[in-house]
Amino acid sequence: MKKLAKLIIEKNRLVIVVFALITLFLGFFLRNLRINPDILSYFPKNDPDVQLLNYLGEEYGGNSLAMIVLETGEIFTPETIAVIHELTTRLQLEPGVAYVTSLTNTLDIKTDEYGFEIGRLVDTANLPRDPEALTALKEYTLSKEMFRNNLVTEDATATLIICRLQTNSDQVATCRRLQEIVAETAPAMKIYYGGIPFMILDLNNMITDDLKVLIPMVSLVIIIFLYLGFRKWEGVFLPLLAVAISLIWTLGVMSLLKIPLSIISNVIPVVLFAVGNAYTIHVLSRFNETRVTSTNDGLATALYEVGTPVSLAGLTTIAGFISFIFGSYLVMIQEFGVFAALGVLFTLFISLTFIPALLALKRKKPDREYKEQEETKNRGVTGRITPGIEKLVTKKPKTIVWVGVLLTILALTGIPRISRRVNLVEYFQPQTAIRQAEAILDEKFGGSGIIQILAEGDIQDPAVLREMEKMEEFLLAQDGIHSTQSVVNLLKELNNAMGEGKVLPDTKGKVMNLWFLLEGEEVMTQLVNAGRTEAVIQARIAGSLEGSLAHQLVTAINEYTAGINPELVKFSQTGMPVIYRNLDLSILKSQFQSLIFAVLLVFIIMLFLLGSLAGGLLGLIPILFTLALVFGFMGYAKIPLDIATVLVASVTIGIGIDYSIHFLSRYRQELADTRTQNLPVETAVRITLNTTGRAILINVFTVAFGFLSLVFSQLVPIQRFGVLVFVTMLGSGFGAIILLPAVLLFSGARSPAGKMGIKKLR
Amino acid sequence: MKKSLFYFGLLLILPGLLFPAAAAGKLTAGQIMERLDQTVSAPRDQEIHVKLVITDAKGNESHREMVMMQKGSDRRMVKFTAPPEQRGIAFLSLPGGMTYLYLPAYRQTRRIASHVRNQKFAGTDFTYEDMEARKYSTDWDAKLLAEEGGLYRLELTPKEETVTDYGRLIVEVRADIFFPVKIEFFDKANRPRKVMVQEKLEQINGYWIARESEMKDLQAGTSSKMFFTEVKFDSGLADDIFTERYLTR
Repeated sequence: MKKLAKLIIEKNRLVIVVFALITLFLGFFLRNLRINPDILSYFPKNDPDVQLLNYLGEEYGGNSLAMIVLETGEIFTPETIAVIHELTTRLQLEPGVAYVTSLTNTLDIKTDEYGFEIGRLVDTANLPRDPEALTALKEYTLSKEMFRNNLVTEDATATLIICRLQTNSDQVATCRRLQEIVAETAPAMKIYYGGIPFMILDLNNMITDDLKVLIPMVSLVIIIFLYLGFRKWEGVFLPLLAVAISLIWTLGVMSLLKIPLSIISNVIPVVLFAVGNAYTIHVLSRFNETRVTSTNDGLATALYEVGTPVSLAGLTTIAGFISFIFGSYLVMIQEFGVFAALGVLFTLFISLTFIPALLALKRKKPDREYKEQEETKNRGVTGRITPGIEKLVTKKPKTIVWVGVLLTILALTGIPRISRRVNLVEYFQPQTAIRQAEAILDEKFGGSGIIQILAEGDIQDPAVLREMEKMEEFLLAQDGIHSTQSVVNLLKELNNAMGEGKVLPDTKGKVMNLWFLLEGEEVMTQLVNAGRTEAVIQARIAGSLEGSLAHQLVTAINEYTAGINPELVKFSQTGMPVIYRNLDLSILKSQFQSLIFAVLLVFIIMLFLLGSLAGGLLGLIPILFTLALVFGFMGYAKIPLDIATVLVASVTIGIGIDYSIHFLSRYRQELADTRTQNLPVETAVRITLNTTGRAILINVFTVAFGFLSLVFSQLVPIQRFGVLVFVTMLGSGFGAIILLPAVLLFSGARSPAGKMGIKKLR
Repeated sequence: MKKSLFYFGLLLILPGLLFPAAAAGKLTAGQIMERLDQTVSAPRDQEIHVKLVITDAKGNESHREMVMMQKGSDRRMVKFTAPPEQRGIAFLSLPGGMTYLYLPAYRQTRRIASHVRNQKFAGTDFTYEDMEARKYSTDWDAKLLAEEGGLYRLELTPKEETVTDYGRLIVEVRADIFFPVKIEFFDKANRPRKVMVQEKLEQINGYWIARESEMKDLQAGTSSKMFFTEVKFDSGLADDIFTERYLTR
């Protein structure tokens, strides 16, 4: 290892050139980096619920509903009807759109004394123009449950156009074109766009905007805090350079592997900026100390010495991120774990190779002034805080420990209050257009969500159809379900037209006769397969459906289904409640698994670093305290667990443990010194606090405020994530430089320092 | 309701007398259309057995068979003979836009409305409008685009009062027998909508007919093909075939 360090220092020019080339190469691929905001695409392909969803999407014309609400004074005017017709025709032609359902193309079965007619609700070849015809159309439309509050509101002031998007298509691009078409065709109307496809479009725009705003903002915050901490531009510029290069590498690799940014991996740049600067800082400060000698050998030794703790600090952080790979249901969380870990690895690598090479190149004359400067100027803000901490810790260790214990207990009581949020609607801030659209869809049209129930059996068998009918009745009786659609209703209407009342036909022959009349109707391909061995029941449900209701619904439907003879017909469900339920469960599972994994990994690393069980446990104190604090905070501040905040615990562990490592390793060194000089334990604590403690403090503030910049994200989960990491960093800082030394003093007062079990590492 | 529902008119069958090939001298577009229309009134009656193959967007095929009988231009009976579950389903179209449907499983006849002309006929890609007997020369303005390879290529646009789902048609007509072999349908926004190709032209009892006729829906990706397996012209179909009573037999 030492040879390697020497090589880096001696061949510094070569190292710099190689790094520059790699950076150029990977930077070239950055252009191809894509964004995939579609959360559904990150569901594991081997989950049967996801498979069923995809199957129904592919076989029955898509299950992503892009919903367009047109609001105007009165829907039933010649102009509005004409606009709806024009829109329907144009939207239908758009590539990526499987089906459009609107007032002007919806199938309708009209029955009167003369006979019946299977046709469109509106005769588009001859659009109604005179007031009488329009009034008749309005009355007729509102009299039918199929249309009232499904396609048009009761007061006839708003109408809904539903576009079913093809499953394997670029839905973001399609939605953009849909908006263009609507804006062109209906410029005078108030338009709302809702449903998951439009949410994903908005997410896409927000991710792009976020990247543009947040990266500069975080950089600025970090520059300010680094400068405040170090009062030296070198200490600002080099850490940022290391992070910038590693960011280019990380995103370049993602692009090369054709892995797009998701709404989670979107925060990787911010995470790297906030986390990655510490490694370079440590290298830098060690080099500054060594420059007095300024020989290649001296620098190589310095690099070798600083390499070990910095690598360990990096490895613990990597461990924190790696923990997401295991037990994450969402592929996007795994991807975040992998690439955040890779980014940290790159930063670590760059800090230990490129940065030293750069420093060696620059190699200054022995800098006497530097030492003095450090003494005077480097006090900065943190320099004024540490003496206060030192005083507090040494005077009142007992009180601090008790405060820590009490805080932990208080925080633990908050944990049961933590709620969970999985709904996509919740990602948007309340004032956004999409939230308004979803509110209107929920309130006036029964929601933008969808439940799909697949029935497998002989669909032309009246007994099977009756089970489907009962299933629909059951669904309609559930909370939150607004309307259902299946072939059953069409058959009932036609049976009525044949004079047998609005019930299902009683023989298979009749069903088959009626089927003849429905064949070729576009809506049939959304409801039944060609062999008539499968049918789909679709129910509309509030888009803002929450996790708990999703659980209830899924369970209720499963229980109901279990009571049906599978020989006759087999029902299976999928759709939003199932997906949200799985997401909800996965968030819980993810939380526990990654937490346990991360704590374990960190414990092992501490064990290695400190060489004893007691040391390992001691190192965990700040982490466990912070974890309790952050979960308690979530409970009391009503910050729910969601796909972003679920990451906080492991990030906390990964970053927070660095403080323990740095603090304990310095303390161990100082302890050895003080013991040879026969000084009290307190002295070791004092020295550690004033040296490493100050560096930790700078890092705490830099990372904390770096993450706090995320509150300027447009995405609610990312905002919450930022706030939580902020709290976490303050907690870890408190844990490492106040609580941990207090514990050391508290226990050290009772037992000799040697029995702390902290042995010499090297 | 002005026209009867099942007007199997010239678009599909176009039985026509073989006119002597156009006498020297160029015909105008209007004249070509008139010649084409003259074939409509040709047979007194006809009885055609049809095999229908309907292909959906995913490539699934379904098969049907039917017998179509027509007398004059406004009386038609269509009876489905296969598959078994559709056997006996029948439509009767009478003058004055009266259309009746018989469903054997119900043993019931019902009148059905027929004004929705852009509806598909029996699940095929042919709409009721496509099946109507209409006079092209009176409903459409024709423009001769080209004459090459023994074909007239005409562009038809609807006259102002014409009710149609289409914005424009491009028709290819055999120059020797005035029989349309290909029609491209464009919607009102001038996007290609459907295309019909008529093949295996044959002369029976002096009338020309296409044994195979295929309609493709370019927007939906579906297609329907009709095979005329048996064709009889002027066999003297009895009047009582075109009654409600015969519908139920």
